[in-house]
Amino acid sequence: MSEKMYARLLRLYPSAFRKEYQCEALQLIRDRARDETGLFNRVRLWWDLVTDILTGLPQAYGNSYAVPDAAPQSANAQRVPSFKVLDREPLRPGLILVAGTLSLAAAAAFGFLLSRPIAYLPLPGSNGRMSPIEAVLQRLNRAMDPDSAMGGHRAVATAVSTGTSDPQARPSAMATASAPKPYALALRAENKNGVGMGDRVVPIQMQNLHEQSAERAMAQRAFEAQPQREGQREVGASGNALANGVTDNEHLDSAERQRVLDRAIANVRQYYFDRDIAKNTADKLLAHEKAGDYDAVTDGAAFADLMTRQMRDASGDMHLMMEYSRDKLPDGPPAQTPEDLARFRAFLEQNNCFFRKVEILPHQIGYLKLDLFSEPSICRPTAVAAMAQLNNAKVVIFDLRDNRGGAPDMVSLIASYLFDHPEYWYSPRSAPAEDSWTRSPVSGNNLADKPVYVLTSGSTWSGAEQFSYDLKMLKRATLVGEMTRGGAHAGVFHRIDDHFGMGIPEEKTINPFAKADWEGVGVEPDVKVKAAEALETAVKLAEARLRKP
Amino acid sequence: MPKRKLDPLPSAAFQILLSLADDELHGYAIMRQVEEQTGGRMRLGPGTLYSSIQALLEGKFIEEVDGPVDPRLQPERRRFYRLTSAGRRLARAEAEKMADVLRVARARKILRGDYV
Repeated sequence: MSEKMYARLLRLYPSAFRKEYQCEALQLIRDRARDETGLFNRVRLWWDLVTDILTGLPQAYGNSYAVPDAAPQSANAQRVPSFKVLDREPLRPGLILVAGTLSLAAAAAFGFLLSRPIAYLPLPGSNGRMSPIEAVLQRLNRAMDPDSAMGGHRAVATAVSTGTSDPQARPSAMATASAPKPYALALRAENKNGVGMGDRVVPIQMQNLHEQSAERAMAQRAFEAQPQREGQREVGASGNALANGVTDNEHLDSAERQRVLDRAIANVRQYYFDRDIAKNTADKLLAHEKAGDYDAVTDGAAFADLMTRQMRDASGDMHLMMEYSRDKLPDGPPAQTPEDLARFRAFLEQNNCFFRKVEILPHQIGYLKLDLFSEPSICRPTAVAAMAQLNNAKVVIFDLRDNRGGAPDMVSLIASYLFDHPEYWYSPRSAPAEDSWTRSPVSGNNLADKPVYVLTSGSTWSGAEQFSYDLKMLKRATLVGEMTRGGAHAGVFHRIDDHFGMGIPEEKTINPFAKADWEGVGVEPDVKVKAAEALETAVKLAEARLRKP
Repeated sequence: MPKRKLDPLPSAAFQILLSLADDELHGYAIMRQVEEQTGGRMRLGPGTLYSSIQALLEGKFIEEVDGPVDPRLQPERRRFYRLTSAGRRLARAEAEKMADVLRVARARKILRGDYV
């Protein structure tokens, strides 16, 4: 028993030592145990052994345990070549078990840490499952709109997108009717999670956040925070008179259907930019009504879906749409406070305005990973600094694979660096205006004639699609990656009642490149590869291009 | 190399060299001998003992020899060790160093002249 324990302790010693002396050491203990009897002696014996194990260690490890060289000498004397084998002890199973367990534990701990996105931006009140962006967003909403905590606007988004199985009928963004011009695009920027109303936009509830819309919503919020201009139209108000008709019950009765239809027809006639198409569309809707096409439809989402398809068929305009919200569409959120704006600014700054990486890769290939086109009033210096950092690159790669759009002004600001003259910068949301041209040339900029690659993925969206589409159409960039998601968001949102709203393009936009933009279909890359391989592919293409004389 | 390891000579190694001055001994006997010659102050455990023996072997200050084979008295095969001439020189040098220390101690009246 004691001997076994001592043998275990001996494992602390070098294996060469044990091989050489283990038997002797155990023999010595047996000898002492035989000679030293009595409690005191035994205790002393064990005390000696334990202290000895520790004090003998340095010496034991200091020895070389070299094999005496007598044997080789004799071998050489016989002129027979000899080989020494380095005798290494195989790993013991116990050691493998312990090391394996530790490795697994370390890997598990690392994975656990990675799966806790909240860790690097802890926020009180967050439930630990939200990403930091979502948490910030939630706090902003809570601060702005205490009443909505009970879910007054909840599931607007979910309901809006219900039943849109037709790919042409993808949920798309609508915007407010009365955006002040400089922020018009931005105000219109939004999406199935937040529905604009009049000159205000519904706060985004966390329950509604689909996919990666947080950044978009944040960007939107910044734009909304701009001071409102005089003379804004209160378009949504026209629908408010009808607001109380439909209950939370999603089943429509004929009176409600009639009310929505009448309002929709009136809106199209009033706001759609092309009078003839508006008339034609309105007539078609009336014809469908007369034919009794709506009589059997009692589901709100199905009704909205049907009307969307019919309006699109009649007008050929993919931005014309009817949307349904199961929950009540709010009348409008409370005003944004300066604190909210300050918090939003801090949020953008904390995230470096979503300029995730600015690097010069080998061979002077500039690489910019941008995840959001942030509001230029806050982020212009960051953008200018990032572009300056890339100024000496021979090729620039814009990585928009995780970019969901953002502020159109930022899109055009960055595009300005890629041209040596003002270039018409097409937006599907607005008619040509003074600010539809890039602000090129940018002084001190060297990138105007450098090759450009844009990396895209299936989640590249909205403003990022505009950037990709325009550069592609202008033959200014090579797109590498996947088909983008397909959101042009040209419609302006008009509230009809508590549950229905519609998107109506109000301005005739001019697409110099093609008849249709990327709404519902996405922007097709020039080089189709998986998003994960896009960077590698683009770098190879760039290197090949640089090698050409 | 071994010189560095045994310079300064650890007291355990010195005592082992001393214990082998008269006789070839095996490990346990060395341990007993050391215990005896230090008045019981030093009881070498197996770790220290065999580490020191290994170091001394590597320095060629002692060598292993076949012990007397007497199955009646020594049923187990044991390794015996013998002092080499180098070992003897090393032990003497160490002892002289200590004698020097002793002289100084006496001169400084730390030790009385008649002691030891």
